[in-house]
Amino acid sequence: MSGGERGGAGTRSAVRRTVGVLAGCLTAPAGLLYLLFAGVPLGAFLLWPRTRPYALGVFGSGARRLVEVERRRRTCFFGDRFPETYGGEGVVRYLAVRSWSGLMCGVVLALLGFGLVLAGLLAGGVVRGTIGTAELLMQLVLGGVLLFLGLQGLFALTALDARLARECFGPSERELLRRRIDELSVSRAAVVRAVDVERRRIERHLHDGVQQRLVALAMLIGRARRSGGRDPERAAELLGQAHREAQEVLAELREVAWRVYPSALDSLGLEEALGGVAQRCGLPLRIAYEVVGPLPRPVVTAAYFVVSEAVTNAAKHSAASAVSVRIEGPPGGPLTVRIEDDGRGGADPAGSGLTGLRGRVSALDGVLRIDSPLGGPTTIVAELPCV
Amino acid sequence: MRVILAEDSTLLREGLARLLGEEGHEVVGAFGDAVTLVAETEMLRPDVAVVDIRMPPTHTDEGLRAAVEIRERLPGTGVLVLSQHVERSYAARLLAAGAERVGYLLKDRVAQVEEFLDALERIHAGGAAIDLEVVRQLVVRSAHADPLARLTPREREVLQVLAEGCTNTAIARRLHLSLSAVEKHLNAVFDKLELRGTEGHSPRILAVLRYLEA
Repeated sequence: MSGGERGGAGTRSAVRRTVGVLAGCLTAPAGLLYLLFAGVPLGAFLLWPRTRPYALGVFGSGARRLVEVERRRRTCFFGDRFPETYGGEGVVRYLAVRSWSGLMCGVVLALLGFGLVLAGLLAGGVVRGTIGTAELLMQLVLGGVLLFLGLQGLFALTALDARLARECFGPSERELLRRRIDELSVSRAAVVRAVDVERRRIERHLHDGVQQRLVALAMLIGRARRSGGRDPERAAELLGQAHREAQEVLAELREVAWRVYPSALDSLGLEEALGGVAQRCGLPLRIAYEVVGPLPRPVVTAAYFVVSEAVTNAAKHSAASAVSVRIEGPPGGPLTVRIEDDGRGGADPAGSGLTGLRGRVSALDGVLRIDSPLGGPTTIVAELPCV
Repeated sequence: MRVILAEDSTLLREGLARLLGEEGHEVVGAFGDAVTLVAETEMLRPDVAVVDIRMPPTHTDEGLRAAVEIRERLPGTGVLVLSQHVERSYAARLLAAGAERVGYLLKDRVAQVEEFLDALERIHAGGAAIDLEVVRQLVVRSAHADPLARLTPREREVLQVLAEGCTNTAIARRLHLSLSAVEKHLNAVFDKLELRGTEGHSPRILAVLRYLEA
């Protein structure tokens, strides 16, 4: 972004904020009038215990509508982001305090306007020469003090408006902490689960693949040895088979080791390791790699496994004809990994593979989005913060 | 003899079938899971069933369950169970019905072709074939990491045959030794395994064997 653009955006945002403050002044009387005209007739019912809940409901629901307007104003002009739901009990209090502060803000703005008029008159006097130097100085000092007070009040009131909104709509500090702790507990559990799933998978690969093959290989050699005396030709044939089998066991062992941890990640980096995925994958795989600068190792590992798992899934379940992978990492920004296939979609985000990936990504405070409508295409996007 | 196979690895199943064929045995059926095994065994009436413990769909103990069922329903049929690791509880479940016509071997033993064929023959003849590993697991670990590692090959053989439930006389006959030599070896075994008992019979080893037969 160039300096000019940034300046433009800054001006726009300042204008928006100003409009927001003015809108706040305009909505304030509505709130006060509501409190007055709805509160007074309902007051008696509010005091009587029998009717209190009902009266409170009626009173609150009206207040809520007005408060919703305030909430929209904050999000629209000030860019505040609040959670979807907010507490019901603070609504009336918020409306009262906020309307009052909005009204004050209006008064301060009116005073500032009045000050401008006075300043204009003073300037006119100076031009006409009807005002002496001593008087001009005194007026300037007095006007300056009043201007300072007015601006100070305006800033304080806009800050108060923001704080009130945060207290009513936004999560409190404590709430944020609690959420963070929840999030961390969940992601920690997910990581442990993912590790266990992974280990089980490795064990399965070793047992069902490599070990069985080795047993079969040893059996071949045993059979060759047994028929050595009786039938040398047969023995030679069995040994040939055993030799071929040994090569296959080696290839399988290499595969399993690679699946456990691709050593190329450390020695050659992410791009090379992904090239390995492309070689191993049964589908045509296009990889666009646009990363500037070095990446933290946990991010590299997570990115690798996201790609390899997603590609494996696509090859296995999606009946896709091609997969494209895009990896972007602007300097200082998060690493974005995007995998798309043209398969039939319907990937289950709750499946063990994708759950494991989500755990891996959320452990790094990243986000994994899976979009896989029935009929395809499937898009998996992982955003990994590089801290 | 007539053999039925249940083993999920195609490679190994084929290998076993070929090996048995070469040895002049008849493979009457070979399956990749334990689902139909019991029914097929009842129908085909083989002499011995060779069963892998861990098979699809759950990859836990379906093979063992089938083997136990075969032992219950067809007492005349020998059962040889192949296990990935030594699982004491599995061995105990298998041997709950006695130590006749039954084997529990580590899968890797199949690679020792002679040993495997020998075990099959023994089971067919009404005996038992219990992997030495099982004994290793059952012998209470002393301070030494592996008590059996300190045995000489000969002592190990003696213990192996002992674990199959043979008497000293039978051991002597099997290993072509004199009775006194067998006793000497056994004493050495009990010493090394720190199982000194009375009269040269270790109550612990006997307990092991009883446990196997229990």
